[in-house]
Amino acid sequence: MSHSKKAEIFNKNEAKVNWHDKALWYVREKRDLSAHKVQGWEYLRELASGIKANVLSNLDEYLIQFEKNAQKNGIKVHWASNAEEHNIIVNNILAEHNAKKVVKSKSMLTEECHLNPYLESKGIEVIDTDLGERIVQLAKESPSHIVLPAIHKTKEEVDILFQEYLGTKPNFGNPEYLTHEARKHLRDKFLKADAAITGVNFAIADTGGFVVCTNEGNADMGAHLAKVHIACMGIEKIIPKEKHLGIFLRLLARSATGQPITTYSSHFNKPATGKEMHIVIVDNGRTEQLSREDFRASLHCIRCGACMNTCPIYRRSGGHSYDATIPGPIGSILSPGMDMKKHSSLPFASTLCGSCSNVCPVKINIHKQLYKWRQVIVKQQKQPLLKNSILKIAGVVLSKPRLYSLSGKSARFILKKAPKFMIYNRLNTWGKARDLPEVKNEIFDEWYKKRTKNG
Amino acid sequence: MKVGLFIPCYINQLYPQVAIATLELLEKLGQDVYYPEGQTCCGQPLGNSGYEENSKGACQIFVENFKEYDYIVGPSGSCIYHVKHHFDILEQTPEVIKVRDNAYELCEFIVKVLGKINLGASFPYKVGLHKSCHGLRGLKLGSCSEKMDAYYSIEENLLNQVIGLKLMILSRKDECCGFGGTFSVFEEAISVKMGKDRIKDHIDSHVEVITGADHSCLMHLEGLINRNKQPLKVMHIAEILNSCI
Amino acid sequence: MGREAILISIRENKPTLLPLPDIDLNAFSEETNLAERFKDNVKLVGGRIKEIALADLDREIKEMFPNAKQIVCELENSSLGNISIFENTDPHDLALIDLAIIKGDLGVAENGSIWISENQFTLRALPFITNDLAIVLSKEAICLHMLNAYELIAQRERNFGLFISGPSKTADIEQCLVIGAQGAMSLTVYVV
Repeated sequence: MSHSKKAEIFNKNEAKVNWHDKALWYVREKRDLSAHKVQGWEYLRELASGIKANVLSNLDEYLIQFEKNAQKNGIKVHWASNAEEHNIIVNNILAEHNAKKVVKSKSMLTEECHLNPYLESKGIEVIDTDLGERIVQLAKESPSHIVLPAIHKTKEEVDILFQEYLGTKPNFGNPEYLTHEARKHLRDKFLKADAAITGVNFAIADTGGFVVCTNEGNADMGAHLAKVHIACMGIEKIIPKEKHLGIFLRLLARSATGQPITTYSSHFNKPATGKEMHIVIVDNGRTEQLSREDFRASLHCIRCGACMNTCPIYRRSGGHSYDATIPGPIGSILSPGMDMKKHSSLPFASTLCGSCSNVCPVKINIHKQLYKWRQVIVKQQKQPLLKNSILKIAGVVLSKPRLYSLSGKSARFILKKAPKFMIYNRLNTWGKARDLPEVKNEIFDEWYKKRTKNG
Repeated sequence: MKVGLFIPCYINQLYPQVAIATLELLEKLGQDVYYPEGQTCCGQPLGNSGYEENSKGACQIFVENFKEYDYIVGPSGSCIYHVKHHFDILEQTPEVIKVRDNAYELCEFIVKVLGKINLGASFPYKVGLHKSCHGLRGLKLGSCSEKMDAYYSIEENLLNQVIGLKLMILSRKDECCGFGGTFSVFEEAISVKMGKDRIKDHIDSHVEVITGADHSCLMHLEGLINRNKQPLKVMHIAEILNSCI
Repeated sequence: MGREAILISIRENKPTLLPLPDIDLNAFSEETNLAERFKDNVKLVGGRIKEIALADLDREIKEMFPNAKQIVCELENSSLGNISIFENTDPHDLALIDLAIIKGDLGVAENGSIWISENQFTLRALPFITNDLAIVLSKEAICLHMLNAYELIAQRERNFGLFISGPSKTADIEQCLVIGAQGAMSLTVYVV
């Protein structure tokens, strides 16, 4: 189903749309306040973008350097070309340790690879430990936002969900009570876990270490208690030097939630004595995106979600309407590269307002890439017959002034003379909720000619 | 100095009063204004829909029409943006480059090229300014709420000089109205919701007249206002700047 | 498995080398009272902060945590600890710790975070699994921003370390901020 269809369904409940819009706009406002306090914010974005551009142009060297340094520190490094390889590698590591219970902190990569169902099919229990992710996992849904996975759920819905799965008492959706009940539930899971899986926010080439950022402390609770820690990262997570974290960590949390920094920014360089640390480096379509000059910069993304919070379409259509691992503006330029047919409606789910590009901490020209994807999709994907013929005919008419003038006249004639029921029919999508402009007696061309004659 | 008046297709056909106000305003400011015949469209609706290839003919006509002028001025930010940023699909001949470099949105032309902000207008109403995205974020007619740069607004500077006009403060200063060209029909539900929300912000801020430098956004908002019989009037900024009430 | 394939694909598809930008630190310099800024930001991120004399440390902590029974203290000059942990202690045994007291290496004024590292605590799980966490930080060890911070921690033994900013928190239920998600329920910073 296209984005517009899903968005239309989401919009049937206007009160919920208003609620969703306000919740995310609030995050956008917090981001603004927080960024305003940083001297040199725009320069920071400039630097971050420049560093990421350098990374992409030297990615192979940085990955090799990272691997060498990580191995020197006793971290085991694995490489996966695609989702399937990634899942097999993770499963093999778990099998080696006979790990049956796994706790996982937030990782959009493992969502992308559908790791959970794969491991579950092998008889492994995987518990998502980020509260928002745990909520959607219990509800058997996917995250609707990359930073706020359960932003589409009301506290009352969480209340009911927790009553069913965690045995909580009815509490009229008290967030504090619900969070603390989840803490107890997850504490138990952490203490019993055989292995921990985390994502990676940044992997540093010159030290071979990696950084994981959370607010809840769930990545650390998992990684430091279990005997094995597996960290999964896309190839684009590399940064050249540790000092560059000084730029990215200043931008990340402020852009994401308006916090000056996440509660925990953990730097993993060596496994603890007696424990194992693994890194899985994954391509899964990223080098293909790297080959596309116009869309390459989408790989700068540090997954802050700011473009979602600011996007007026995302706020009013909900993350699930995008039907993609990564929703919102950034998802709409990443997803068509993964599966153009499935995601062909996404680049059109935008007014090209450009707010996404302005908030992006690594200055991805998101709205320009949306425009470019539209050109590619129209050429490569079959378009609806009506849209295709109208726009192609328009192209011809607009290139011939006389024909154009004639068609303008007849369109205005129809608008003016036709009875209302003929104009506001089901073919007129514009007119469902909006009036058409009132037609004046004279167009400007005619007025101007008259004036010139009289003048 | 010869100024070529660019009147976007939908303004010519549906909002002649906006074109007239633009012309009168430029003449009042002492400009030598010409309106080339045979204007069609800048090609924006096609480009934004993914049919850029099919818009080359329209773009070429635009260049033909305006190549002899020192400046090309039009009352529509998004069309000017399209000329400046998307005419890269044409071969970059000296004519194409000249047209792209010298195309100006009306307010930008008045303030940046003519160096004027007080145009002697009067308009005793409470006005809400809709900052259209292509003008704001594309042509940089003002600072954007997302960015940490110093605050400025070309349109506000002009409106603040209008006698009697009271510029009202909106709660979301530069949120998109949801028009977005063909987006308005292909994503009808969201487009309408975005428009309704924008209008509510203006009404809650006690606005009597919504204005802006891009009439396509205003057409969308006006369509909703008229359908829902809301107490708001919609006028292009050229009409206000040309007013003596 | 995929290593060579990935590296070959990158080499075929990457753009020509772009330079790594130089960082002009002057763009971020500010005249500011570091200690005050740090204090304000610790509170902003949900932490408590108190400036005290080192001699009063034990008394202050006892006053703040009168009910703490099981205490791990990683400071040399304090007698508050009553649980000893070693490198081979099973981290699961820390589940019932009420309070952990550790030394912080460096405070960052711009965000109220503190760099703490494995070099200052015996087990990595400690600052997360403890119910309450107290960090003792020298007043001199506060820098302005993260770029300064990375310069100052560059010469360390790299094993495990983190910037910690306030107590564990979440806003995953309807954007309502709740303190105490999976990590420590509170963070108290003692500036000495």
